[in-house]
Amino acid sequence: MIRTRHILLKLSLAALILGGLFLIYLDARITSTFIDKMWELPAKVYARPLELFTGAGLTTDDLAYELEVLGYRKVTTPRGPGQVSRNRNRFEVYTRGFEFPGEREPARRVLIELSGDRVKGLSAGARRIDLMRLDPVQIGGIYPSHGEDRVLAQLDDMPETLRQGLLAVEDRRFYQHWGFSIVGIARAAFSNLRSGRVVAGGSTITQQLVKNYYLTSQRTIVRKLTEVLMAILLELHYDKDQILESYINEIYLGQEGPRSIHGFALAARHYFDMPVEQLGLHQQALLVGMIKGPSLYNPLRNPQRALERRNVVLDVMAQQGVISQEHATVARAMPLGLNNNRRIRDSFPAFLDLVRRQLRQEYREEDLTTLGLSIFTSFDPLLQRQLERSTTAIMDQLDAAGELQSATVVTRFDTGEVAALVGGRRVRYAGFNRALDARRPAGSLLKPAVYLAALEQPRHYNLATPLQDTTLQIKGAGGKLWQPRNFDRQSHGDVLLYRALAKSYNLASARLGMDLGLDTVVDMLDRLGLDRDVPKVPALTLGAGEYSPMDMAAMYQTIAAGGFRMPLRSIRDIVDAYGTPLKRYPLEYDRTVSLQAMHLLHYALRAVVREGTGRGVYRYLPGNFDVAGKTGTTNNGRDSWFAGFSGDLLAVSWIGRDDNGGTGLTGGSGALKVWAHFMAGASERSLDYRMPDGIQTHWVDDRNGYLTGKGCPHSRMLPFITGSEPRQRTNCSPRKSGIADWFQSLFGRDD
Amino acid sequence: MTLSHFVSRGTVLCLLLFGAGCSTFSGSDGGSVPVEKEPEYTTVTPPTAPQPSARTAYQPLLDKAAQATARGDYGQAMALLERAQRIDPDSAEIYLSMAKAHQASGDMAQSRATAERGLLYCNGSDQCAALRVYTR
Repeated sequence: MIRTRHILLKLSLAALILGGLFLIYLDARITSTFIDKMWELPAKVYARPLELFTGAGLTTDDLAYELEVLGYRKVTTPRGPGQVSRNRNRFEVYTRGFEFPGEREPARRVLIELSGDRVKGLSAGARRIDLMRLDPVQIGGIYPSHGEDRVLAQLDDMPETLRQGLLAVEDRRFYQHWGFSIVGIARAAFSNLRSGRVVAGGSTITQQLVKNYYLTSQRTIVRKLTEVLMAILLELHYDKDQILESYINEIYLGQEGPRSIHGFALAARHYFDMPVEQLGLHQQALLVGMIKGPSLYNPLRNPQRALERRNVVLDVMAQQGVISQEHATVARAMPLGLNNNRRIRDSFPAFLDLVRRQLRQEYREEDLTTLGLSIFTSFDPLLQRQLERSTTAIMDQLDAAGELQSATVVTRFDTGEVAALVGGRRVRYAGFNRALDARRPAGSLLKPAVYLAALEQPRHYNLATPLQDTTLQIKGAGGKLWQPRNFDRQSHGDVLLYRALAKSYNLASARLGMDLGLDTVVDMLDRLGLDRDVPKVPALTLGAGEYSPMDMAAMYQTIAAGGFRMPLRSIRDIVDAYGTPLKRYPLEYDRTVSLQAMHLLHYALRAVVREGTGRGVYRYLPGNFDVAGKTGTTNNGRDSWFAGFSGDLLAVSWIGRDDNGGTGLTGGSGALKVWAHFMAGASERSLDYRMPDGIQTHWVDDRNGYLTGKGCPHSRMLPFITGSEPRQRTNCSPRKSGIADWFQSLFGRDD
Repeated sequence: MTLSHFVSRGTVLCLLLFGAGCSTFSGSDGGSVPVEKEPEYTTVTPPTAPQPSARTAYQPLLDKAAQATARGDYGQAMALLERAQRIDPDSAEIYLSMAKAHQASGDMAQSRATAERGLLYCNGSDQCAALRVYTR
């Protein structure tokens, strides 16, 4: 008997010690993680803010789209932030204001008047505004793998009726109990007993929080006991308001794709596009009602059920004296009040992919998904919209069967910022990002590097140097012969250098590359910013290797910027959760190529679109709009490329098949069309003509490259690096000239 | 050259070019011959005319950047100047301010490169001369 009592005593002691240890463990778990958990916030990724000033290029359609994706509500008279009224070309906007890195944009009511696709007037009341910017569109977030997204709010931000309504529905005795409610548990146990299975939880707000934070959704006695213990511990360590504040930030309120909506503040933005402070009673009641079943009562998917649930909540609120019966009646009569604006968040997977890759070079994944960073990017929703439209329009026209793929990178080359990106034909599909990950030969897109390397040697080469476009054979490794051919399978004899590039003659280009030496070509590709291993083989001169559209954009960026290499940037600034700037990605120029040689290359790239393989661009662009570019086609038409620039934008487009089969397209009949369609709709500035120091123009005979007189047969004006002009001269004297060619027209000089 | 002159000459040229057979363009790149399809074209709205001066918009940013440079806050100065440059990428004046800010921060290489690029955009001897000072 005594022995049995001893064993029982020992067992009880062991149980007590184990129980004590368990409690200590639970307590440590709560105190070590509770505060941190409250601050786990995904990074927010923003587009560029739209800059507004008198004279800014902007169509009414574009402004309306920008305001729509920003979620501005259309009203008759804007009375609060986030509202807009429109009367044809006049937009009255009550801006939201925004805390930009280092500078605050105030919320204010402004009048924006547009005319002729420009901002004509910008004012606030009687005051003219010189410059302002709208708040930036959030284009995505960087969520942890569980997808939780939230906007942090303080308890004081909640409308009193929302807070009271929440307590009335979820936990009436919240401010009285110690974390659990005997009455609640008894009531739940009774209904479970009656139905024979677990149907009710009887959880207090504290228990719900503990369950969401630390426990699984399993319904077992042990889990329930742990939940109660942890709830009590939580109440011992933290005061009621802290617990309630965690709850309103933690509560799960729905799903949008992989992203889960947590907390009232984000739910208010998500469902109503409003700050939680401004929610109406009917909207507050809906959010409270959704806690019971976020997907069952999702107003976007089940509006009727959501409406019924909302009205139940309104009744409870009235019964509990949170609101008056009159207010409840008015709120019951209201519609759901949802935000029906077009959503573009997380719609641009290709660009977000680029941003994420840039971020991962410097940040740990965990920091990106928990620190609440704000990432300000150079993404331009208006350019992206045009790029998506152009890609879809042209691809549908070229290939109705949908077998071909396409990718395009768009940059603003003055700053090296990536502004738009399409990674596949299904432009918003988060699949293989061809803009970054395709590895394709570049065809003639590499040729400008060969010609530029030549033009950097003005003692040997100028635009009028005759090149031999005749057959050649080069013995490669293993004794294999390389025999390039021209596209038309013809040889063209002596061809002036500029024309060999404009017409994309392979034989002349390969000969030129081999004369210069492959090392010189490789060095030039490197200086142009092509950051990839290139095969040092003769076929490199015609584009051998594996490159992505982004690689080509980096190279053409340097060309478009006139010989200044700059890293392609997608991020401008990163700001932490408290608004403190963390990092800025500054603009950096690095002049890596002779400016004069680059100037001559620009002439040849303009000739491509005026008289060479890229003439098709003027089916889309007006004749007085100057651009420069290069077509590229690879063997059997497997890849169709076009890279080129106007006065403000650089774009590189590619069309091909994922299985590397033939497309039946050339650069000119495929990618060029996407490029030109996009430029026609998006570019605001024609390519200006700017002559650096050390360049002179001369008249040459277009057949042999001899100096000649203006108005002589086959005379043509060309730019030359001073002193590099041809020595030989025709015996023709200058005379009155006829029609000016495209170069004279844009150059505007008579001699 | 005036804008109208530029436009009219461009239009004449374009008509001539099209008259000469623009539609027969084809790629002349390497490899065997892909099947050339008859191109179908879409009509799109022509782009807008060149932008008027945006100086009024960016001048306050230049002033603020100068103040930031004076107090040694080069990061802020460059952020303001980059914003100004996005408003008017063709302004030599902004390049000059950037070159000055880089020089003040001790980054001579950036100062030189920025001024060199600015030289592509300068108008008139004074502006060009001011930029040239920073390219040495």
